[in-house]
Amino acid sequence: MATDKSSLQLVANGILKENPIFKLALSMCPAVGISTTVINGLMLGTAVLFVQVFSSVTISLLKNFIHPRIRIPTYTLTIATWVTVIDLSLAAYFPAAYAKMGIFVKIIVAFAIITMRLEMFACKEPVKSSFWDGLGMGLGFMVGMVVIGFVRELLGSGAILGYDVLGFKPLLFFILPSAGFFVVGLMMGFFNWIETYYAERKKR
Amino acid sequence: MKMILTIIFRLTVSCLIAGTIMGTTFVFTNKAKKANEHAREEKVMYALLGYGAGQEPDEGTALHEIFRYIVADGDSQSIGYLLPAGHHGEEAGFVFVQLSLEGDFVSKTAIPLSEEKAREQGDRDNAVQTALGSSQIARFVDQVMVVTEDGSRQAYLLSGKFPGYKTNISIILALDPAYSIIGFEVMEHEEDPGLGAEIEQDYFKNQFKHKPLEKIKQLQVVKEPLPDEYYNALEGKLELAAAEQIMLQYSDNDIYAITGSTISSDAVTSGIRGMTKKFAYRLDTLEKVLEAQQIGVPF
Amino acid sequence: MRGRQKITVYILFLLVMGSCGLAQAAGLVSDTEFGADNEIVVQFSIPVDREVAGDPENYTVYEESDPDIRLPITAVSLSSDGTEAILSFADPLNTTAKHIVTATGIGGVEQSTFSVSKSYFGYLLSILLSALIINNFVFTKYLGLCVFFGTSKRKETAKGMGVVFTIVIVVAVSMSWVLYQYILKPFSLDYLQIVIFIGLTSLTVQAVDTVLRKVNPILFKSFGVYLVLVIANCVIIAVPLLMASNGYNYFETFMLSLGAGGGFLLALYLMSSVSERVELAKVPPSFKGLPIAFIVAGQFAMAFLGFSGLQLF
Repeated sequence: MATDKSSLQLVANGILKENPIFKLALSMCPAVGISTTVINGLMLGTAVLFVQVFSSVTISLLKNFIHPRIRIPTYTLTIATWVTVIDLSLAAYFPAAYAKMGIFVKIIVAFAIITMRLEMFACKEPVKSSFWDGLGMGLGFMVGMVVIGFVRELLGSGAILGYDVLGFKPLLFFILPSAGFFVVGLMMGFFNWIETYYAERKKR
Repeated sequence: MKMILTIIFRLTVSCLIAGTIMGTTFVFTNKAKKANEHAREEKVMYALLGYGAGQEPDEGTALHEIFRYIVADGDSQSIGYLLPAGHHGEEAGFVFVQLSLEGDFVSKTAIPLSEEKAREQGDRDNAVQTALGSSQIARFVDQVMVVTEDGSRQAYLLSGKFPGYKTNISIILALDPAYSIIGFEVMEHEEDPGLGAEIEQDYFKNQFKHKPLEKIKQLQVVKEPLPDEYYNALEGKLELAAAEQIMLQYSDNDIYAITGSTISSDAVTSGIRGMTKKFAYRLDTLEKVLEAQQIGVPF
Repeated sequence: MRGRQKITVYILFLLVMGSCGLAQAAGLVSDTEFGADNEIVVQFSIPVDREVAGDPENYTVYEESDPDIRLPITAVSLSSDGTEAILSFADPLNTTAKHIVTATGIGGVEQSTFSVSKSYFGYLLSILLSALIINNFVFTKYLGLCVFFGTSKRKETAKGMGVVFTIVIVVAVSMSWVLYQYILKPFSLDYLQIVIFIGLTSLTVQAVDTVLRKVNPILFKSFGVYLVLVIANCVIIAVPLLMASNGYNYFETFMLSLGAGGGFLLALYLMSSVSERVELAKVPPSFKGLPIAFIVAGQFAMAFLGFSGLQLF
């Protein structure tokens, strides 16, 4: 049973309708922990994107080979393998960025979002749509991370991507570790408010 | 029963595939990782010595490494230094000089080792151990680099690790031949962004510049706001001459702590204090021995 | 029952004897400890000669890792009965390192060597407290948030999840330690860490599930639901990774995992207590549910920031 959605719809679904951070509220740890700058968000987002796409494709390819009784362990094994691959490659080729992300790359292995996509989508759908779905979810995560990073970097250190744009530091608070919770909470509330606002306008 | 067998078979196959993928990646990335790490360290070291991008070090510039070992012989301990042998311009392998804990000469052993092999810890340790025989056990502790230009010393480079506020902070420190600080660079840390992570910033790092050994020995942090003119000088916002003037004016001061992260500032300050003090003591002791025993070294 | 008690007493006795034996290895010296910032306090078992023991020249002190660097002693002050000496040093000591003191000619013994270090038990407790409060995994390391927000709405769920999680993490991390120490490290298979650690966690979850189902079905009914969630908690993979990178021994690993589990329980309990109240409060409609939970968690995180830098032992 193949999904009737087009590739574009699948990607858009991951970014907007089922955004892993703001809508599904899964994989929140890095969204709070290391989203202090845009570049951090981009780097970790890319790592998650790769893991999600590779795992989705792998599971979709092997779906007939995987015994249903050991479904979950196989998912875990697949994800762990790809996380290891990404982890080793990042450590080798981008040592500076890797040092900033610390333990969070390895922790991708416990992200609920990836297992959930494998269970709900990749194990039933053909390779092509699994690829697009994985891409959409990964991009959705990346977009979420970058948006939070953008807000925190701009308000916390007055810079974007490391370039000083404001010339002063508006509120150091935003770059402090505990502010991650506040930023995510405020942004979730803000998006909810926009949604209800438009829903009500449509009704009228 | 048949189902169990299929499950086992399929799981084994999956594990084998996964293992192969990870193993291959490891083999491929490990080399690149080592090379990149080395390249990064080298870049930081050259930057500390003042060779920026486009400014290549001279032909005569050379790096010599001194490896320090602790040698245990039964209950007694001694310190061993693995040094490149021969005066400037000669290639004479390495020499292992052992000193007693009090700093007196014990023995000297020539060790046939090429420079490339000396860099690999495994090869190096084996060579030292074979030369010492089985009654003594040598344990590698740390290494320092001596930078020379045409045989005269320019700087020392030491890398060190000390506990910071959260986890360890590792740095590379450059000292001039009189043990004043040329500069340092933070290689790894996990301090909080906006607070402890400010140890990476110029306004903190440059405060250590040009501090003489006598000052370093008593270096402390003070919890006072950083004066504006000093901040501008440290951040390189002033013209060179004016900045030099201000730097000189503050060179006898202690280190101004980063606002909100006294512990991180203190950790770095005392870490650098300890590294410099120990290194200065050790090199002085070693040099006395080298001179008395007439052991030639290229630095 | 009595037999078991006897054994317990016997083990305790052995432990006490063992720790005394360590301290008294030198015979002459009965106890050593760090005094003020730059002091070492030495207790002698017999009164010693004031002349010899009061002379700083007769002591050499160094940190275990730097045997060639002697720490300069500025003064030695003896107590009036001659059984206690306080060695003062020029600089503050690094009390986390083990210090080796060699005394010459004191109490008629030609040379006696003894060590000074902080008590190991205190160090273990500091690991526990650090993981529990100072570096609480939820509020200061931002790990395990998905499960944290999912199960912190009711106190009952919070307690159930916290307890199950603590049990699983202690068991899983203990197994990880054994495997890491005896297989991964000796054969330099470090890069398999992630797979091994997550695999062991799944195994533990499965085992606890099966055992609990058979042994105590009532308990399983109330706690079984949380078992599945444990695997999706980042803390469970972060702790063994931390253990591996710090090179902890078994006791330290045990304390770390216990602290991590307990810290998670503490965070859940605190959060659920607030959540139950928040439900009665007038929250703006767009902030109901998760957004307000995040803001509350942020306040907790700021409060926990106050513990940082705390050193008890």
